[in-house]
Amino acid sequence: MKRYREIAGDGGSDVAGQVGAQQERLRARMAKIAVKVAVASGKGGVGKSVIVANLAAAFAKRGLKVGALDADINGPSLAKMLGARGQRLAFGEGGLQPPRGPLGIAVVSMDLFLPDDQTPVRWTGPTEGEGYLWRGAMEVATLREFLADTEWGDLDLLLLDLPPGTDRIPNLVPLLPDLHGVLIVTLPSQVSQLIVAKSVTVAKEVLKAPVLGLVENMASHVCSRCSAEEPLFAGEDSGRLAERLAIPFIGRVPFDPLLSRCADDGTPVVLSHPGSPAARALSQIAATVGEALRLPPALVEARETR
Amino acid sequence: MKFLCVPCDEAMKIQETSGPEEGSLTVTFGCPACRRQVALLTNPMETQIVRALDVKVGGGRPATDPMGFVRSTLASKRDEASAGGEPASAGSACPFTSIANAAFESQAAGGGAIWTEEAAQRLNAIPGFVRSWAQKGIEQYARERGYPKITIEVMEEARARFGM
Repeated sequence: MKRYREIAGDGGSDVAGQVGAQQERLRARMAKIAVKVAVASGKGGVGKSVIVANLAAAFAKRGLKVGALDADINGPSLAKMLGARGQRLAFGEGGLQPPRGPLGIAVVSMDLFLPDDQTPVRWTGPTEGEGYLWRGAMEVATLREFLADTEWGDLDLLLLDLPPGTDRIPNLVPLLPDLHGVLIVTLPSQVSQLIVAKSVTVAKEVLKAPVLGLVENMASHVCSRCSAEEPLFAGEDSGRLAERLAIPFIGRVPFDPLLSRCADDGTPVVLSHPGSPAARALSQIAATVGEALRLPPALVEARETR
Repeated sequence: MKFLCVPCDEAMKIQETSGPEEGSLTVTFGCPACRRQVALLTNPMETQIVRALDVKVGGGRPATDPMGFVRSTLASKRDEASAGGEPASAGSACPFTSIANAAFESQAAGGGAIWTEEAAQRLNAIPGFVRSWAQKGIEQYARERGYPKITIEVMEEARARFGM
């Protein structure tokens, strides 16, 4: 009796061919994007999306054509932070024409598809109690479609804002085999650092993309009255953590209520308050990441002359 | 998944697909040698997993509708994100547009809705050519609101909502 591998094809569906066509569509779209970077964390609530929004703005300010994809399907916030929320979705023959944030940043997020603030992401399907079996597959298909069916155009840089946790990082393997790097965000707290080390391991061993480095958010608090700077958390110094994990330490972003206020307003702080300590730190982080990514010389030059 | 006709030791070929109907997809395979047929009946979970792959069982051209997967599988979405690209209900002059969309979504969702006897009788009184759409639209309406069964009252609510 014949074995599985002795039978060619699958009886007529050609699922492998259909998946191959999906992959080709994705590959063709991604080929127009020079550099793709994922931003990950370990724990949630470390301010990763704020970092992504501000890096996108900082790179756009320096003359790059930038896209920002909110890969957090169930907790999307990037569209809000980049002022794209509420923009009308437009579909052309080539795909979704992405809503635009400041400086023309192309933004795609599940938030743009949801009807109102109260509505969570729910899929038509069998009872939700059994959704744990298929929800992950729906999220990967969604992410593939966000990447492949958006008219990103010729971008210099696409930033992906990943959901918290280590489990979603491997989802990028079949979608973005040529990912240029992963940036990791943490807080200087022991709990955050404990989990972020796991994310670094997954990024290194599963994703096989270079870990660009570690960014420490909410590193310190600067008193608005006396300008005294003091730590907010009592974790290990993130620079030492990066050294221990054998990855570059990219920089620290101080805690600043302005960051949250600007995120609420949809205008990244690097654009609205470029002289603030947080904005200066984020701009420096963008510069360091840009160097690590070896951006085209003309763009680096443009950046330096601004 | 592959099917083998054991007596002939021949790989079976897909002959027909139908559904999803109440969450189940029917795929009929036939042996090219002896013509024996078998049918694969998926349970709602299996149907959903196939759906998540965004592939068509039985073959065919892959969908080219931009964001077609997201737009057809999200339970609640903005009007302009509805499959087809245009608002499904707001601004539409046709009350059946949203019902049709709900019906197609419901079809893949897997039904299993419980109808009271009175409600089922009223459903059967609806002209046959729109009954299926109406049924699926009402089931979708009930499911979204967490109604455990479809009663006359639920039908009235749905009717008011859809403008039937």
